[in-house]
Order: sequence, then C-alpha cells, then structure tokens
Amino acid sequence: MKRGALIVPGLLVLGVLAASIAVRAHARQPDSPAQPPAVPAPPARSTPDQAAAAFKDDVHAKAGLGCESCHGQKTSGGSYAPVARTAIAPMCATCHADASVMRKFAPQVRIDQYAQYQTSVHGRQMAKGDTRVATCSDCHHSHGIVQVRDTRSPVAPAHVAGTCAACHTDAARMSPFNRSPDVFSDWSKSVHADALLKRGDRSAPTCNTCHGSHGATPPGIDAVANVCAQCHVREAELFKASKKAAVFAEMGQSDCLTCHSNHHIVAPDQTWISLEGEAICATCHDETTPGALVIRSVRKGFDDLQQRMRDAEGVLSRAETAGMLIEDGKLAMHDATEAHVRMRVLVHAFASPPFDEVLEEGLAAADKSRAVGDDAMDELQYRRRGLAVATLLILGFLATLFVKIRQLPPS
Amino acid sequence: MREWLAHRVPLDEVEAAIQHKRVPRHRYSVWYYLGGMTLFFFIVQVVTGILLLLYYRPSAEEAYDSVQFIMTRVPFGWLVRSIHSWSANLMVGAAFVHLFSVLFLKAYRRPREITWISGVLLLFVILAFGFTGYLLPWNEVAFFATRVGTDMAGAVPVVGETTVRFLRGGAEVTGATLTRFYGVHVAVLPAITTVLLGLHLLLVQYHGMSVPPSIEARAKTDGRPVPTMPFVPHFALRDLFGWTVALAMLAGLSAYLPWELGHKADPFAPAPAGIHPEWYFLWTFQALKYVPGQVLGLEGELVAIIVMSLGAGALVFLPFIDRNTPRSRAVITWAAAAALVFMVVMTALAFTGDPS
Repeated sequence: MKRGALIVPGLLVLGVLAASIAVRAHARQPDSPAQPPAVPAPPARSTPDQAAAAFKDDVHAKAGLGCESCHGQKTSGGSYAPVARTAIAPMCATCHADASVMRKFAPQVRIDQYAQYQTSVHGRQMAKGDTRVATCSDCHHSHGIVQVRDTRSPVAPAHVAGTCAACHTDAARMSPFNRSPDVFSDWSKSVHADALLKRGDRSAPTCNTCHGSHGATPPGIDAVANVCAQCHVREAELFKASKKAAVFAEMGQSDCLTCHSNHHIVAPDQTWISLEGEAICATCHDETTPGALVIRSVRKGFDDLQQRMRDAEGVLSRAETAGMLIEDGKLAMHDATEAHVRMRVLVHAFASPPFDEVLEEGLAAADKSRAVGDDAMDELQYRRRGLAVATLLILGFLATLFVKIRQLPPS
Repeated sequence: MREWLAHRVPLDEVEAAIQHKRVPRHRYSVWYYLGGMTLFFFIVQVVTGILLLLYYRPSAEEAYDSVQFIMTRVPFGWLVRSIHSWSANLMVGAAFVHLFSVLFLKAYRRPREITWISGVLLLFVILAFGFTGYLLPWNEVAFFATRVGTDMAGAVPVVGETTVRFLRGGAEVTGATLTRFYGVHVAVLPAITTVLLGLHLLLVQYHGMSVPPSIEARAKTDGRPVPTMPFVPHFALRDLFGWTVALAMLAGLSAYLPWELGHKADPFAPAPAGIHPEWYFLWTFQALKYVPGQVLGLEGELVAIIVMSLGAGALVFLPFIDRNTPRSRAVITWAAAAALVFMVVMTALAFTGDPS
C-alpha cells in the first residue's frame, strides 16, 4: 500500500518535470504560440540533483527559502523526505494564505488560493485522501516555480491548457471521475484557442478563464451564462431579456452551451439560423413551432445584407482596379460590416425588432457603398468618353498640322 | 496698337529676327525637337502645379487628405493631379533624351559651353523637382523613399549629418520635412529654373542650333552649305506637331492610367516591402546595392557618393574636358554610351529583381 502510494506522487513529480521541460522548450520557440500546446508527458519524479538544479531558478529560492522550508530537516539517511501529496496544499498555504508573510515579498499578491482550492473538485477530492487529483505542484511545478506572469510558467495564459491537458487528456485517469478526455482536443479547435494561440491574444479564454484557477470546478448549467457573460456582455444581456431564457430554464437547457457547445466553440455562421437540415435552430424548431417566422426573417436579413455587401464589394473592387478613388464606398462598407457584427450580437434577442433596425442600417450602408462604386464606374466611363473625344480632336489637329507641313514650300 | 507697341518694344526687330531665323536641316534634325518637348512638359507642370496649389495643404496632417480631396471632390482634380504626375515623369524622360542627344551630337562644343552647363543644371533642377514633389502627397511609399534618399547624404564626411538635418528639418522625416520640401518645390526651384531656363533659351536663340561634326565635315567635303529651313513656319509647325503628340500621350496616360495615391504615410509603421524611389533614381538605388560595405578602407556608400559627384562634375564641365579632337570625341561617345547602358541595365534590374 505504502509502495503504491509512493508510485503516484513519484509519477506526478516526473510528469511535472517533463511538463516543465516541454513548457520551457515551447517557450523558447518564437513560433510556438501558433501551434496548439503539446500535452506534457506522464508524471515523473525528479532526482535530488535535478530538483536542486531546478530550484536555483525558483521564485522561492530568490526569496531566501531553502529545501528545509518545505521538506523539513534531512532524514537520518542524509536526504530530504518527499512531501506527501495531501500535505502539499496545506504546506503552501502556511505562507500563501498568510497576509503577514506574503506582504513581505509581494504586497499585492492574493492569499485566497488555498481557500479556493478547498472548494474545487481537486481540493475536495484531495481532502478525501484521493491523491490522483491535482495539487499546487502539479500546475506550478515543485522545484523551479516561476511567477504566473513569467511566460515560462506552466500556468501562463499560453500554457494553461497544456498544463491541464497533462491529466485531462488521460482517458484512464479521467474515467473514474466520469470526465471526458476530449476537452483539450475540443478546445484546441475552438475560436478561443485560435485567438490565444494563433493570434497571440492573451485575453482569450483558456481553461481557467471559465473554470477558475484554484477553485477549478465545472460551471453548472445555471452558471454557464454568467461565465460566458464575463466577455460576451451584450449577448448575455439580450439573452436574459429574451423569451428564450425562460423557455431554456423550464427545459433545463444550458443557456449558451445549447447552441455553441462548451469547449469546441466555433465561429458562428448564419447557416445555423434555419429550419432545415443541420441548422442549429432546426434542432428544436420547425415550421410549426413558435419563432419560425423570426428565424426565417433573421436568416433572410443576414442573406440580404451579405448579398448586397458582396455586390457592392465587386463594384468597388472593379472601380479601384480601374484607378478610381472609392474611399467613401469603403467607409460605407465599413459601416455595413459593423452593422453585420451588431446583427450577430442581436440574434441573441431571439426577436425581430432590435435586429431589423440594425439590418436596415446595414442595408443602407451597403447600398451607399454600391452607389459610390456605381458612380465611380459611371465617372470612369465619362472620362473614357471624354478622352475619346479629346483624342479625336488631337488626332484631327495632328492630321491638319501634318498636311500643312507637307504643303509648305521647299526651304 | 502695333505702332504704339513698336515705339515701346523692339517689335520690328524681333519680328525680323524670327523671319530670318533658320534651322539646320539634316538627318539628325529630329533630335532638335526634344528640347522643345521638355519645355512643353515644363509649361504643363507650371499650369497644373498652380491649379494644385489652390487646394493642396502642406502639412503632415492635411497633405494626404488634401490630395485625396483634389482627386475625389474637385472637378477635374483627378485629371489635373494625374497630368501633373505623368508630365513630371515625361519631362524627366524628355530631358534625359535631350541631354544624351546633345551629348552624342557634340552640340556642347564652343561656343555653346554655357548653353550646355545651363542645360545640365536644369536637368539637376528637374530631378530636384521630382525628389521634392514625390514626398508632397505624404503617402507611404514617398515617405519611406524620402527617408532612404535623405539618409544617403549622411554618408558624406563632416557635413553629412548637418546636411541630413538641413534636408529633413530635424533628425527624422516629419511634417517639417514636408513643409520645407514644399517650399523648395514651389518657390526655390521655380526661381532657379526661371533664371537657368531664361539663360538657356536666350543662348539657344543667340547661337542657333548646333550642326553635328559629321554633317559639318560632309558639307565641307561637298563644298555646299548645310541645308536649312525657316524657323517660322517650317520648324515651328514641326515643333507644334511634337507638342501635340506629347499632349496626346499625357491625356491618354492620365485618363487610362491615373496616378495612384497609395496609403497615407504613418511614420510609426514599419517600412513596407518594395520601397523604391521614382524610376529616374532607380539606377543609383540599384547600383548602391552592389557597392561593398568597405572600398579601399573607405565606407562603400561614401565612395559611391564620391563617384557620382565626380560623374556629375564631369557632366557639367564636359565642354572643357572634350578637346574637340576626333579621338577625344570618340572617347566621350563611348563613355556616354557605357553610362547610358549602365543606367538602363541598373534600372531594368531594379524593376525585375528582388523587391527587397
């Protein structure tokens, strides 16, 4: 039993070390944010030498702490005893939950991490003695801990998902907890992962943005909308004010997840709005259900605007290629695009009135853009006709000159 | 009226001079029209430049927008701006052809040394017009090309840095550079041009057209004078024909290939790919790429500037370098041909090579 108990933390430590190496290698590559983070290798335990080497760069070493601070005195064998996994979080909390200690090093740092951890799924399981769940060192490392704002940190925004994936992609590990091992894979295909990893937008959501860091827990159905509303404020307001909110609550449906899913959140498309085929609306609605009229009207609005914007862009492009200045048309097109974005937000009202008003603005802007393009093309034709007339006049003048020169008496 | 004028200005004398003025007529006479064509483009520049001045605003904040306003809002503004841009380029082209034709036909020989020097200086002024005018729309390409162009002056020892600051009105290309380029473009250069052009045209009229040495020699052998034609109407009508062809070219280019405005300059943005000067500076731009970093212990760029300055000096004082012997004339012909080939090859390489 004791041997078995040592294998798990040993594997975890090795895993953390492997994860550390993977994260450091990842951090060294300038192009790495464009790729999904690598899932760290299984846990592995570090040797005393490796631990000592890693600790040199540790934020605690810089603060004057040593091996004894966590491991206590050496054993009679001359080595330090590993800290039991169940004891790691309480041990970290002796300093990190004590304001009088922490303010000496970082006056602004939070001291509620342990309190939050105790409310998390990880913390609650650990309190029951289940050491298979994560504790502080699994995410922050045991030796070689750096600050979260340090880009080398395994919990820096670009690395959080990879760190969580070390455990959450392991089907065998997740199975007893009835958790899916596909969450990382799903998230990696999402617009959020694209924003964070490809566009380098550090504010884009990763695991801890929605689940919390130390208090990591899956949000319940009734809390999902609040989680999404952290960023999607207007969408959440519109949804809560809509008839749909009450219907979903009655049906026990999750507010945002029903249409957008949770981890595999892809860019919404107007083809979602339809009563036919694979459309999202068609999951619940058909021609006979309430709202069918709104669905058709909203979809038609998107299609109309898109078509008019496409037409206007075509004319503007032809005019620009012909050398005409179409700045006003581009400005109007910008307005149409903005209206399109607002319409996508207003879809969450699940009603026509606010949507139709913005649709009208978008259509007017697209029409204005088209008109600028048409005017430019008309102007181009006018110029060409003018040039043709001018060329004829010039050619006529040249011919007259030529005849006159030929008629001159010999010099 | 005529009598009234004739008492006050030498009308009869001028009329008599024009009536009696004759122009040599031979197989190279066609090159005589290039000077007049350059003058035609210059007149177009003056007229369209004045029209642009009515709306152009010479500040970093307003320059681009004002040119955009001219091209989109002012009636026929697009045409005026496009003609100004095309005419500037055609004027440079015509001036270069005129220079080389005069050089190959040895028209700079005694007593036309001052005519030649004033002509070469006019070409330099035209290039300065092009360099300063290029920046005025304050677009991206012009901004960065001006930065590179003015940087070159920094390679000159002792006065280099001061010269760069003088050209830019500061350490960097800013609105101050635009304002002083504008001042130079619309006041300083036109004033210099007026003097040089007046002198050039006066001397051309005074000395008449030069006859190439080969034509002169043949006439001497044949014992017959070089045929001539009356300036009016024979030469004048042919000149008018050339001007009209130039006008047709300008109209066609301006209407079918309107001059682009590009994107507004952003001094804080990184230089975009493909930054290059106007085509008539491309050969120096390309040649500089082949100059090594160090030449005989001197900075490569400095050596290039010295070589170019010596070349420009030799061009100005060419009439005094040519000893007017068959051997000397042959050397100059081959040197000019080599320079022309070099310029054409470098320009072609700049157009076809790697944009970086």
